[in-house]
Amino acid sequence: MFGDWEKMKILIVEDEPKAGDYLRQGLTEAGFIADLADNGIDGLHLALTGHFDLLVLDVMLPGLNGWQVLESLRKSVKDMPVLFLTARDHVEDRVKGLELGADDYLVKPFAFSEFLARVRSLLRRGKTSLEPTAMRIADLELDLLRRRVTRAGKRIDLTAKEFALLELLLRRQGEVLPRSMIASQVWDMNFDSDTNVIDVAMRRLRAKVDDEFESKLIRTVRGMGYVLEVPDCV
Amino acid sequence: MRLISRLSLTARLTLFFASVSCAVLLALGWVIGASIEHHFEKLDQDALTGKLMLAQHVIERVTTPQDLERLSDQLSDAIVGHHDLIFHIVGPKKEILLSSSDLKFPEERLQAGSVSTDAQMFSWEMEGNSYRGLAAAIQTSIPNGAPLLVAVAVDIGHHTAFMHTFMRTLWLFVVCAALTTGLFGWFAVRRGLAPLLTMRERAALVTAHRLDHRLPVDAVPAELADLANSLNEMLARLEDAFQRLTEFSSDIAHELRTPVNNLMTQTQVSLSRARDAASYRDILESNAEEFERLARMIADMLLLAKAENGLVVPHRENVSVAAEVTALFDYYDAVAQDKGLHFCLEGEAHVGADRLMLRRAIGNLLSNAVRHASAKTNVRVTVKEASGGVEIQVENTGDAIATEHLERIFDRFFRADPSRQHSNEGTGLGLPITKSIVLAHGGKIAAASDGELTRFTLWLPRVFL
Repeated sequence: MFGDWEKMKILIVEDEPKAGDYLRQGLTEAGFIADLADNGIDGLHLALTGHFDLLVLDVMLPGLNGWQVLESLRKSVKDMPVLFLTARDHVEDRVKGLELGADDYLVKPFAFSEFLARVRSLLRRGKTSLEPTAMRIADLELDLLRRRVTRAGKRIDLTAKEFALLELLLRRQGEVLPRSMIASQVWDMNFDSDTNVIDVAMRRLRAKVDDEFESKLIRTVRGMGYVLEVPDCV
Repeated sequence: MRLISRLSLTARLTLFFASVSCAVLLALGWVIGASIEHHFEKLDQDALTGKLMLAQHVIERVTTPQDLERLSDQLSDAIVGHHDLIFHIVGPKKEILLSSSDLKFPEERLQAGSVSTDAQMFSWEMEGNSYRGLAAAIQTSIPNGAPLLVAVAVDIGHHTAFMHTFMRTLWLFVVCAALTTGLFGWFAVRRGLAPLLTMRERAALVTAHRLDHRLPVDAVPAELADLANSLNEMLARLEDAFQRLTEFSSDIAHELRTPVNNLMTQTQVSLSRARDAASYRDILESNAEEFERLARMIADMLLLAKAENGLVVPHRENVSVAAEVTALFDYYDAVAQDKGLHFCLEGEAHVGADRLMLRRAIGNLLSNAVRHASAKTNVRVTVKEASGGVEIQVENTGDAIATEHLERIFDRFFRADPSRQHSNEGTGLGLPITKSIVLAHGGKIAAASDGELTRFTLWLPRVFL
């Protein structure tokens, strides 16, 4: 399922070596080509010359800080999406970043699955694809017009929210979705609340979609979230 | 002005006392001096007028020019015993008929007038002596005779000398009095301001470790009692804030210690010998869960810290409470179904509030209600307008909350049952966050537990937009 992301180039500008290395490793293993710069000056130079598809920018940087990098970058490069990483959760910081032309921001500490989901959203943005009327994975089919779900030809009754949940999983099949993202996308709950709500909802969805079938499509990734994918051959 | 405002109160009051007593004494001295002067003038006037009348009496009996020649002797008898009295009589032909001394009267003042008690006196100085005089034209009884000009004068040297002495004494007295008043004033002010000193000493005792010191209110004068009260209130607020800060820090330390300890032990035990990939995976997954909880706790505590510093500012919009509650019902639907709970919503109201915050506040209450509700019961949310605002009640049936716990239920990390600290129940910051959101909106929140029914009542001012 990583095929879509092949050859997408991402530049990470992060001065903390551990964080930078792990972000690069994580992105590489997720199928991206990731480069790392550990200061603002190198970062800006690379961003201007390296033909990247996405820039991940830490605010606190030696040399030029994240905002200065972004400001200089936006003078010549308008369309490269920028994801801001900040350790300070101040409204002014966020507003400043967004005003300068950042596309999204994450406050440290963040879950890697959340980070990956945001990266993919940003890369997906702007790529206009026709809104599908039906989606499928293995023998599971989702009819978006009739809002009907079948698996192996067998009709499955879902509540509206269960349908929305399954639709999200299917749209982002192969991606590990963090619970906070699921709560935000399906229920519009944009705060970290007790995550067991998502677990219960997911368990109920699985009972309908997976329990009766041999191959289980929804998988729990412990400590990260949920993913919908065709299981590896066991 | 700066200098004055920088002067100490004692110096200011002392100066003030001294100058006021100076001014008062000077005014008094001036009044006394003027009265004495006036009194002397009056005495002189009476004496001089008396002598003039005596002269008049003698002169009126002069009927012939021969009498005129004997006038001197007759008048001499009259002025016997008045050594300081000077007589001067000028005849019709400017001849001097009598002059009791060598004293020269100023020519221009020898104006003829009739003898009367309010005749204008004049004064002059000669050879270092001061004189005061009175002149009058007196008609003799000589037929067709011209009037005589009679002038009397008195040496007022002793008056002037007296006034000089008096003024000098007065000045000396005023200076002494000013100094004395200043000194006494200084003592009085020192004594009067002694309570301020006491307050200062008490205030000096207040440190970060001893915020419980209070200024003495009963022991200070009424003027200072208000100040002392205000300062005490300030101290109380400071102590409260400091207390909360201290508790917050120790809460953080305490709450972080357990998960960090778990992570450390688990990781170190796993590293102590080689394991297979699945075990490592299991450990990492468990760690990831713990880390996520830590991250959430940090985010929640930051939010609370911000709220306590008044940094949480709601972006108000017109919010339908029922719509928010319905959305939350949707969210908790799966959990409720699992427990066989039934959600019900009554009423509707609109309120000017931050939609996200309001959702979070009610969400926490609902989460709490769902968690503590007994299986197969109702969780009821009632929305209604009440006293200029909106009241939202969240009720569930379950175990009663003990009264002593009710007061602390909005405290950070408070759990009625300490053993449930690390079950998967969130960070223990849900209700405090709800409370701080409500406070940021200018509302209030209360919890009540009656038998099996637990009810949270949240009130928000409507705030029209």
